[in-house]
Amino acid sequence: MTATPIPATYRRPLRQRLAVTLEPWLYCAPVLILITAVMLVPLILGISYAFRDIQLLNPFSGGFVGLEHFKTLGQDDAFLRALRNTLWWTGASVFFQLAFGLILALLLNVPFAGRGLAQSLVFLPWAVPTFLAGLNWAWLFNPVIGPIPHWLFALGLMDEPSNILADPSIAMWGPILAATWWGIPFFAITLLAALQSIPKDLYEAASIDGASPIQRFFSITLPYLAPVIAITVLLRTVWVANFADLIIVMTNGGPADRTQTVASYIFTQAFKRLDFGYASAVALVLLALLLAYSMVILVFRQKLSNRDK
Amino acid sequence: MATMEIRSASKNYGTIRVLDDINLEIGDGEFIVLVGPSGCGKSTLLRMIAGLEEITGGEIRIDDKVMNALPPKARDIAMVFQSYALYPHMSVADNMSYSLRLRKTDKPTIAEKVRAASSKLGLDALLERKPKALSGGQRQRVAMGRAIVRQPKAFLFDEPLSNLDARLREQMRAEIRKLHRELGATSIYVTHDQVEAMTLADRIVAMHGGHIQQVGTPLDLYDRPANLFVAGFIGSPGMNFLKGNIADRQLHLHDGRSVALPETMPATMGDATLGIRPEHVVLSPAGSDGLEAAVELVEPTGHGIILHLTLAGEVFKVLTHDRVWLEPGPTVCVSFPEEALHLFNAEGVRV
Ligand SMILES: Nc1ncnc2c1ncn2[C@@H]1O[C@H](COP(=O)(O)OP(=O)(O)OP(=O)(O)O)[C@@H](O)[C@H]1O
Ligand SMILES: [Mg+2]
Repeated sequence: MTATPIPATYRRPLRQRLAVTLEPWLYCAPVLILITAVMLVPLILGISYAFRDIQLLNPFSGGFVGLEHFKTLGQDDAFLRALRNTLWWTGASVFFQLAFGLILALLLNVPFAGRGLAQSLVFLPWAVPTFLAGLNWAWLFNPVIGPIPHWLFALGLMDEPSNILADPSIAMWGPILAATWWGIPFFAITLLAALQSIPKDLYEAASIDGASPIQRFFSITLPYLAPVIAITVLLRTVWVANFADLIIVMTNGGPADRTQTVASYIFTQAFKRLDFGYASAVALVLLALLLAYSMVILVFRQKLSNRDK
Repeated sequence: MATMEIRSASKNYGTIRVLDDINLEIGDGEFIVLVGPSGCGKSTLLRMIAGLEEITGGEIRIDDKVMNALPPKARDIAMVFQSYALYPHMSVADNMSYSLRLRKTDKPTIAEKVRAASSKLGLDALLERKPKALSGGQRQRVAMGRAIVRQPKAFLFDEPLSNLDARLREQMRAEIRKLHRELGATSIYVTHDQVEAMTLADRIVAMHGGHIQQVGTPLDLYDRPANLFVAGFIGSPGMNFLKGNIADRQLHLHDGRSVALPETMPATMGDATLGIRPEHVVLSPAGSDGLEAAVELVEPTGHGIILHLTLAGEVFKVLTHDRVWLEPGPTVCVSFPEEALHLFNAEGVRV
């Protein structure tokens, strides 16, 4: 050591100390400013709408109304029905996406000629814009131009070739079917990646131990996939619950609000009724519900993986 | 307990033939070791016996029943994998009892069998652990435990010790041998470690390039290797080879010198290879009888000394236990006891 030690009483000049303290903040500044500008400001602004009266058609609106929107919300039957519809829509869509995605992943994991091509084709629905997908399915369900009602009629499932989307009792199945078709690739691809990481010799060991293909699936494949399934279901649930495109395009919430979900309700309130304040309040409720749901799933997952250790 | 018979079995991957005309009979309770260099088809043969790999040609019989078309579970064999292949989501006890549970064995019997196997393998304290909380050696034992609980007709091992360190390998080797003596089950053990092969086997099957080169007891292979491949593969350090041609009961080396051959060997033969193991070579100081060879390197191994020499332009190794040879000088003389010589013809086959 050649440097002389600094005596304990020595203090650097103020300017130098200031520079040392500020230095890390200067490095972080660009990111902090960016995050504040593009994430925090809009978020806070959006949340603030929920407590204000903002209607585009009313030039005198804009005032602070406190919890007024939330009180209205509590008595809004359309909102409550939308909440129930959201549960149904999200649950069914995610369930079918998972079920068919898993089946597809298992099929694609078996070697066959042309597997590479099949794997890339499976990805295709994912690349179709949702708007287009919605229109496409709406046409398929339309008895004038689409084949589906005629098929259902031929199978005896329908008394006459009519439009599912126009029948209040079954209209929800239309968007659910479209969402399933559109969401299968996501599950198929993530689950396929997980399947391919399972060591082959586990299956070999199990088949020597005497396990049938189904027993192998339940004792090896499923435990391996469980964490991946948990996290993809979480992501998809949040995504599908927020996902209004297909419903807006296919049924616009109708008939008789039977396919109105919270997400499409927000869209209707904001862009049809132009009541941004109320729409923000609904959105805030949805946000709170989804946050609570994510928390539950994450805690559950944590428990699961702890038990695994 | 079972006998096994492999009749002109072969295996193709696409158009590539990786096993050709394999014939082997295995007696009840025998411990067979398959050895050979990497890629010679040992694992493939083992997996064909297990039913994990299709048999292209020929047939495999266990207890006189043709196994070709039967799935693994119908063959009643157990296999220990190189990677152990333990089920990661099951505890040690569940790993071991899996096959019994699949067979719907009743609970008390399962508990009894798992307990017996775990005490035999020293796993009693680990039964509740998951595989990832075990050391490599412990995992190896669990894999063995999983194989022995259901008392199969035969055990198959695919390089079960190759992921362990040298000391542990030695220990497990002895335990496998002991286990086999206790259980007496027919076993086929794949390794490319020839020490494992020599110490474990009742009979060794030496393989090379998809063919069986020789089948015999460890000492058979050591004392009377059937061809150049087996001669070079068995033994460490490997056998030395001197190339030349034989006339007047002498092997004439390419550098003009010659080695006298014993009476039992042919007097004339043309091109031939003479083999001698490093531990059988007799060393003497430079200037004595025998062939003079330059010393390249002296390798003390603790329990012996390996001299690397150059003889007739080839590497020639000598293993000695006499510490005099720690400083041998620039050249030494080597001579060969008659009974330690092996002679191979131009095709590499023993004569
Ligand atoms: N699925 C496969 N497709 C094509 N060739 C294969 C396949 N599996 C193995 N082989 C070839 O078969 C030959 C024998 O392989 P095998 O795994 O039996 O060798 P091994 O003797 O067990 O070698 P090692 O000691 O390295 O394990 C190798 O040449 C290998 O390249
Ligand atoms: Mg191998």
